[in-house]
Amino acid sequence: MMASSAATRSGAAAFKAVKPIFSRDLSEARRRARELYRAWYREVPNTVHMFQLDITPQQGHEKLREMFDRNRHVTDPRVIDLLVIKGKMELEETIKVWKQKTHIMRFFHQTEAQRPDDFLSKFYQGHDA
Amino acid sequence: MASRALAYCMRSFARSTARLNHGNAFTRYACAPLVSKQRALGVTPCSQRTRWTELVRISGPSVHLCRHYGDLPPLTLGNIEERVMYVLKLYDKISPEKLQTSSHFMKDLGLDSLDQVEIIMAMEDEFGFEIPDAEAEKLMTPAEIVQYIADKKDVYE
Repeated sequence: MMASSAATRSGAAAFKAVKPIFSRDLSEARRRARELYRAWYREVPNTVHMFQLDITPQQGHEKLREMFDRNRHVTDPRVIDLLVIKGKMELEETIKVWKQKTHIMRFFHQTEAQRPDDFLSKFYQGHDA
Repeated sequence: MASRALAYCMRSFARSTARLNHGNAFTRYACAPLVSKQRALGVTPCSQRTRWTELVRISGPSVHLCRHYGDLPPLTLGNIEERVMYVLKLYDKISPEKLQTSSHFMKDLGLDSLDQVEIIMAMEDEFGFEIPDAEAEKLMTPAEIVQYIADKKDVYE
């Protein structure tokens, strides 16, 4: 009974029909993601100039690629659509200068301190081992 | 009347061959379709163009067929391919030794879809016209890019 219910659950999860947000299948969602990448790629040099950032456009492009690579594993079209919508909102705020320099530089902010793993960093931190 | 038309044809042939002698390849290609327009009488085929090189200069009102007026030199298939390969060699994720006209971006050169988008954007910047994403996602080799640009810009040989 458990095996059959597990099978039906997995079968139902594979073929559940849901209402799409924008795109009907994965290829359309990937196309939207590519369009967003294009728009951001063209916008990065203008952003660096407008906000007088201290980064080069190449660093901006690398950061853009990194942000897109974080969500590379997603396959659900609705999730991709939502991510694209959020990216478009960020792009609009950047183009129309509703953001400020600090908001853009938050992308470059390191979120967590790396834990030391080699001996010397651990020694500097205070671990004598 | 026929002789005047014939003289006009000779004048344009002489002018085009004069440019052949001390012009570059682009003007020759630009003159070729224009010269063919003057062939209303079926005067001489293109292969006989070289025989007119000894003609004396014909004076009179001249129609300048090979002026560009600030435009770029006309596109040819070889020219397009040169520019495409040049742009690809400048891209830092591609090693120039492995690059060929038929090398697939994803399978041979190991790029991914975002790299391919960047390459298509570089082509847009080089040739100055928009390539929509629906058609851009199918262009996977430099040969396909050259073919697409030639289709869009009406370049044929």
